[in-house]
Amino acid sequence: MELTEIGKSYRRLDYRTKVTGRAQYLADMSVPGMCYGKVLRSPYAHARIRKIDASKALKAPGVVAVLTRDDILHDEGIEPYYGPVFKDQTIVAVEKVRHVGDPVAAVAALTADAAEAALNLIEVDYEELPAVLDVGEALKENAALVHDSVKLPSSGFADLAEIKPVEGTNVCTHFKLNRGDIQKGFAEADRIFEDTFTLPATQHSFLETHACIASVEPGGRITVWATTQNPFVVRTQLANIFKVPVSRVRVIVPYLGGGYGGKVYPKVEPITVALAQKAGRPVRVVLAREEVFYTITKHAAVIRMKTGVKNDGTLVARECEIHLDTGAYAEIGPRVAKKSGYTAAGPYKIPNLKIDSYSVYTNKPPAGAFRGFGVSQSAWAVESQMDIIAAALKIDPLELRKKNGYNEGDKFVTEETLRAVGLKQCLDEVAKSIGWGSGETRRQGDKEKDNIRRGKGLACMIKATITPSVSCAVVKLNEDASLSIYAGTVEMGQGSETVLAQIAGKELGISLQSIQVLGVDTDVVPYDLTTSSSRSTFHMGKAVQLAAQDIQRQLKQIAAAEYGVPQDKISFADGKIRLPETQLDYAEVMFKRFGMQGGTLVGEGQVKTSTKDEYGEKSTSAFWFLAAGAAEVEVDLDTGKFKLLKYATAVDVGKALNPLGCRQQLAGAAITGIGQAMFEEIAYDNGQLINPNLVDYVLPSLGDMPAVIDPICVEVPDRNGPFGAKGIGESALIPVAPAIANAIYDAAGVRIKDLPIKAEKIFLALQDRPI
Amino acid sequence: MKNFDYLEPATVAEACALLKERGGEAKVFAGGSHVTILMKQGLYQPTALVNIKKIAELKGIRFDPAEGLSIGALVTHRELETSALVKEKFPVLCEAEREVANIRVRNMGTVGGNLASGEPLTDLSQIFIALDGKLEILGPNGRRAIGVEDLFVDFYTTSLAEDEILTRVVLPPLPAQSGIDYIRFSSSSVVDKPCAGVAVRLTLDQKAVQVARVVLGCVGPTPARARRAEASLTGKPISPESAAAAGKIASQECSPTDDLRGSAHYKRAIVGTLVKRAALKAYERAQESKK
Amino acid sequence: MKKAISLKVNGMERSAEVEPRLTLLELVREQFGLTGAKLGCDIQVCGACTVLLDGKPVSACSFLAIDADGREVLTIEGLSDKDKLHPLQEAFMEFGALQCGYCTSGFILTAKALLDEFAHPSEQQIKDYLAGNFCRCGCYQEILQAVKEVSSKA
Repeated sequence: MELTEIGKSYRRLDYRTKVTGRAQYLADMSVPGMCYGKVLRSPYAHARIRKIDASKALKAPGVVAVLTRDDILHDEGIEPYYGPVFKDQTIVAVEKVRHVGDPVAAVAALTADAAEAALNLIEVDYEELPAVLDVGEALKENAALVHDSVKLPSSGFADLAEIKPVEGTNVCTHFKLNRGDIQKGFAEADRIFEDTFTLPATQHSFLETHACIASVEPGGRITVWATTQNPFVVRTQLANIFKVPVSRVRVIVPYLGGGYGGKVYPKVEPITVALAQKAGRPVRVVLAREEVFYTITKHAAVIRMKTGVKNDGTLVARECEIHLDTGAYAEIGPRVAKKSGYTAAGPYKIPNLKIDSYSVYTNKPPAGAFRGFGVSQSAWAVESQMDIIAAALKIDPLELRKKNGYNEGDKFVTEETLRAVGLKQCLDEVAKSIGWGSGETRRQGDKEKDNIRRGKGLACMIKATITPSVSCAVVKLNEDASLSIYAGTVEMGQGSETVLAQIAGKELGISLQSIQVLGVDTDVVPYDLTTSSSRSTFHMGKAVQLAAQDIQRQLKQIAAAEYGVPQDKISFADGKIRLPETQLDYAEVMFKRFGMQGGTLVGEGQVKTSTKDEYGEKSTSAFWFLAAGAAEVEVDLDTGKFKLLKYATAVDVGKALNPLGCRQQLAGAAITGIGQAMFEEIAYDNGQLINPNLVDYVLPSLGDMPAVIDPICVEVPDRNGPFGAKGIGESALIPVAPAIANAIYDAAGVRIKDLPIKAEKIFLALQDRPI
Repeated sequence: MKNFDYLEPATVAEACALLKERGGEAKVFAGGSHVTILMKQGLYQPTALVNIKKIAELKGIRFDPAEGLSIGALVTHRELETSALVKEKFPVLCEAEREVANIRVRNMGTVGGNLASGEPLTDLSQIFIALDGKLEILGPNGRRAIGVEDLFVDFYTTSLAEDEILTRVVLPPLPAQSGIDYIRFSSSSVVDKPCAGVAVRLTLDQKAVQVARVVLGCVGPTPARARRAEASLTGKPISPESAAAAGKIASQECSPTDDLRGSAHYKRAIVGTLVKRAALKAYERAQESKK
Repeated sequence: MKKAISLKVNGMERSAEVEPRLTLLELVREQFGLTGAKLGCDIQVCGACTVLLDGKPVSACSFLAIDADGREVLTIEGLSDKDKLHPLQEAFMEFGALQCGYCTSGFILTAKALLDEFAHPSEQQIKDYLAGNFCRCGCYQEILQAVKEVSSKA
């Protein structure tokens, strides 16, 4: 059997089951006695619910139960208000609906069709209210309030402790970061640049929609199968809502058909549980594609950025206002606004900062976590403006970034020391890959078609991971020395299952064939905060590594006792235990210990990060993500349409534990970035969604891809990561949009400040300043 | 979808009779690309679907030197795309079909269904009109033939009566010295619906244009000929300048609306560019066809 | 009013009683337990529901089961024979052409149809054929590599 290595591109453990169609996802599953749930949703952006009459629906054929606000409000066993940061959501709307698509009621029936038909029989009397449909409207004096007041949780996330809604306004949260002296900074600047950048709400668009099966047993025990990235958070929220101890709630997660941040925090679980409780039997809810558009989006943003620079390109001051449209419910918007805020300086040393980052309530579907988490938004502004500055000062955009960019040991905007900072290596790699500075293809096109221009652009970024956080892992050494890994990390395509097995296998010298990573079941696996924020390799990987080391410790103790050898004379190599006279297989030692081929050793690992690192310094992030991207485009000046010829993405991954897996994540994130940059936007008309489907919401297809996407892993090891590894999931997505916008500027001389970068915008900009 | 009766006639006449009997409550059902979407959205709730897929008369692609290319209503996009006969006679159709929707829709969607849907964001109709194509329609009162352009009345609305069935498209043989180009423009993804689709067909006499067809699609409620643009091209050779001028004229002969795929202003500009490019290409091909 | 239909699914004769409105996707998933084909968009654009009907890829979400009477359907489950996987399945694993796996059965079946139709498709032909299948995890490059590999070995 082959020993497991780090840095080897093992075939992923979930592959065989997926390519044969045997892999189970939520909508493939059913449980005995299960019936089907459907949700009735508000047709209005903002309305008071005068009355709900579900009596006709209750009598409809096949209907088992109907859930309305009466059930939520009048059940002593239900705490109606919940939410990851503020308790501003309810299972179904209580006094009013706050966005088109807001759940109002739900039906459980023997067939999905019967449930759907019964929805139409629920009579809801709405009183329409004035709605605030964008940040501008929401912030006006005397604007209608989305929430009259907001409940705060009794205890919340440590990193958001100081953030509270601004009473009497639609400002959900306001994050401030000040550094140095902003007025002095601008006074010192030779040039000042002020630009406003915007981007729309978009969809995660995982192919698998949100789904849940819930079963509430007569004693109150709740079991939930859910498409969730953070089962333990969902467990906690359900325990709070249904007023039971956490041990009475079980959350099971199969493979996810994509997450990208859209499946964190409670989504359809609370309504499914409430319906199952009412129905007295299990209920499955599977959202239709349109319903996903009403459930969660990525934050739209307006970013005003004012930057002071010296003539030599040194950045001296930045004032920035970010307004994130968080929709009708806060969700995790407050943290997104915070992350957006403190990355508004980009990966650059800027001594004077005044940053205000707001999440604002509007009467639109809620926005929340999206791969990139607020940094896509800030980087769109930061990296676009860097090129505006570079052009004005006639400095090479690459040199401008390297001049101001972070080095190892520099201080972040929070005054903490940055370690393992592969920023410049990433920039150099993408520049090399795209042929930066090679004159042949810039501003030239095929001479027979003088309307074609080519150009190159690049961008870079820094991002943090959710800190503090917790990951616990358990590994079980079985009697035959095979290993079982208990980890709450959800396999949603990122390859976590395989990497965790690799780490344990490497640590213990066990081959991958002997390792089984168990499915996620909160009854079984220990606590993990979340599978998001690109944190699993680092946190859970480390926890698994520690758990494996715990096993080694126990094996050492056993060997010492059973063979009469001092512990300091015992070592491990290649999956064997080395004693002075001999070497033993683990199974032999187990047999010695238990007197038979039976028995278990359980190893545990706990990883906890906090707001202070091991140097006692403030720690906003357990590790830092650095990345760069470069694009080459070809623009048709007559139509504004452009083709992406090549895209290079370099991410500092710390250590590529599974290089193919890393490259997949980089290229994959870049492709979503390409979609967000070129095509994607949720369109509204007076609060109604115009394109809640995958025909009119345009995703990037295989046909739109450049000839080459070059994913490059840069390795600057992190001292705390398993084998030096950091995180990789989000980084490659963030630089894409500004890199493309910068390439278009290089090619056609027009600056697009609003996403997506549609052909028409380029066309109109060219009309204003023809080439 | 709500339930419905599924009726499966063996002949067109039978199909028309069933449609008449159901008095507007039944819909013709072929490939299902269009109808199933509307039924799932609750916009169509027919009590019956009349499945015409088993009617032999509606299938097949044939060529007759006098009549031209006959395309049965049930011919799928994919059949058209891959037909050796079509490639020989009207390769522009194969080129255009390559870009329609996706492979699955092309396997199921039919030419007849595409035309009968009145879908504005589509391609075939422009090419058919540019080729002076005719449609044959059968109803309880017999057979009639119309020019393809006359099928379309408004967005998603055709001149087909509720009990009529489109049976085939007939494309007369292209006169000598003819060239045609179709350009489909997507303002976003290659698989997105078109923002504009322009067909230009030119038939020459020596170097001068004798017959010009400039057909604009996706930029109004129906595909339509830009007759003033056509007139501007007729009676003389094509130059980059005259092609551009025709484009400008054509851009004023359509009535696009602002939507997700572009503003009206942008679409007009695109029409101008597409007409210019298609005219030049069609001219090149027309001159080539002499050899 | 239900109609009795018989069809071949993955080489086996099957029969069912179906209402006209039942889609082929619902038939294979709910009545035959073949859950490899997935519901993604419900309007024929994403390709997650792809099955092969008489060898041709179709959107099962929008194909009436009743129209499958007398025809042959291949789902992903029918592609492998116990441990023996189809070369495309092997290649997808080899090149890392999948992440979450939701689009995978649609892509593999579509690629199979492509290679059955064209023994050695050009890169553009491959792209044209596969452009109608979405992968949100972003495996397009690896998928192309996998399909090219299989077609070069054929």
